[in-house]
Amino acid sequence: MNAEFTELLRPFLKFAGADEITEESRLRDLGLDSMREIELLFAIEETFGVAVPDDKLVDSTFATAGGLWSVVEDLRTPVGGGSR
Amino acid sequence: MTAGAGYAPAVETVAEVAATHAREADETATFPTEALAAMRRTGLLGLLVPADDGGAGGTLTDLVDVTLALGRVDMSVAMVFAMHCQQVAAITAYGGEKLRAEVLPAVARGERYLGSVTTEAGKGGHLLTAESALTHDGEMLGIDRAAPIVTGGPYADAFLITTRAPDAGSAARVDLVYADRDQLEVEVTGGWRPLGMRATHSVPMRLRGAVPQWQVVGEHGAFREIATTVFAPLAHVGWAAAWLGAAAGAYARVLRHARSEAGRRQFAPSSELVLLRLAGIRTRLDAAHALLRHTVAVVDDAPDMSASPVQLLLNTLKIRAAEESFAAAHELVELTGLRHGYLTDSPLALERTFRDLRSASLNYANDRLRLANGALSLRDPGVRLA
Repeated sequence: MNAEFTELLRPFLKFAGADEITEESRLRDLGLDSMREIELLFAIEETFGVAVPDDKLVDSTFATAGGLWSVVEDLRTPVGGGSR
Repeated sequence: MTAGAGYAPAVETVAEVAATHAREADETATFPTEALAAMRRTGLLGLLVPADDGGAGGTLTDLVDVTLALGRVDMSVAMVFAMHCQQVAAITAYGGEKLRAEVLPAVARGERYLGSVTTEAGKGGHLLTAESALTHDGEMLGIDRAAPIVTGGPYADAFLITTRAPDAGSAARVDLVYADRDQLEVEVTGGWRPLGMRATHSVPMRLRGAVPQWQVVGEHGAFREIATTVFAPLAHVGWAAAWLGAAAGAYARVLRHARSEAGRRQFAPSSELVLLRLAGIRTRLDAAHALLRHTVAVVDDAPDMSASPVQLLLNTLKIRAAEESFAAAHELVELTGLRHGYLTDSPLALERTFRDLRSASLNYANDRLRLANGALSLRDPGVRLA
């Protein structure tokens, strides 16, 4: 996860305080609720220039910070292999 | 008892008992103890207990059929039954082996009616948070939980209780924990004086005690997932069936009355106004029923219950069933007039059904679900209709 991503996450996690956000951080436990999830989605799409497909918009995508980041990473990787 | 037509005699027995006591239970706002005793005796309490655990192995469709039938005679009894089944389904799906073995066969034998403790003061009806926490109490987990509304609480043999998980960093990490009545100090902390659904006897309570670790349903913090996959679907489907049953029962009583000699004099069934009103009410019931059955089919086949189209549909069912059922009761009152529509002692009991169904939009508030559906809609720009 890059710092830009974790800093983007932080305001949505009202219970995270100043704690480090790790790949294992459970977003729901840290205060992400379904009403704010959509705002987080918009922020991610704008910041990283990706469009999260509808079928990825399930609870498991938003379970952990690392899981969400891997979805974003996959979307940033060009089709046909990602050797950047 | 087996699922399928096997439980029909049990339903008939329980419905008869419920019908006999419905008026008194409503007047006195007391729990339908006779109907509960009949559910125990007939094995109906074990409808959703798997056959391997001694139950009827009933499906979601079976739950709908039974709840609709009970709702026709007493909406409160139907709600009590459906909510008990919701607890059974949670233990069946998420309980550990020891918990399942302890609880499910006892439910099937009619020995355990399960109450639900999810409400909590100060959280505004939010299902997915909990203020009071499980605490470490030696090897045990300590519970000290106050709840403003516990349906049938004084009569429950055991409870499923939401609490904050032990050592949880936030109110959003919630456990579901099973506790037997004899593991708890049970205190009723207030009364129950509602407009309708009076026989649910949903009093405020405080529960204190300690339970072993294996009585936590699923992992610590699992309640969010349990709510998505079991609790919310069964609540919305079960409530919708209870409400639709109540409206359908009232409609049936009015139609029978309209066809009687006295009714024909009052109603002039050939009047176009009467026919149009009757048709409008039937349309509401058919639409709600179609939505209910369709939702059950979607839930039965859904690979991921958290998918937006599924969540949207479940919320729409709850919102729409509440609206249509109450609107039907309201129109029945209007159609039948003061004597049969408004007086408490009319044998048509429309006044009771009207009061009962007024609760439907408030019982997990429709507005809260509309807000959720707004957000869910934005999560589904492709509008994948389930």
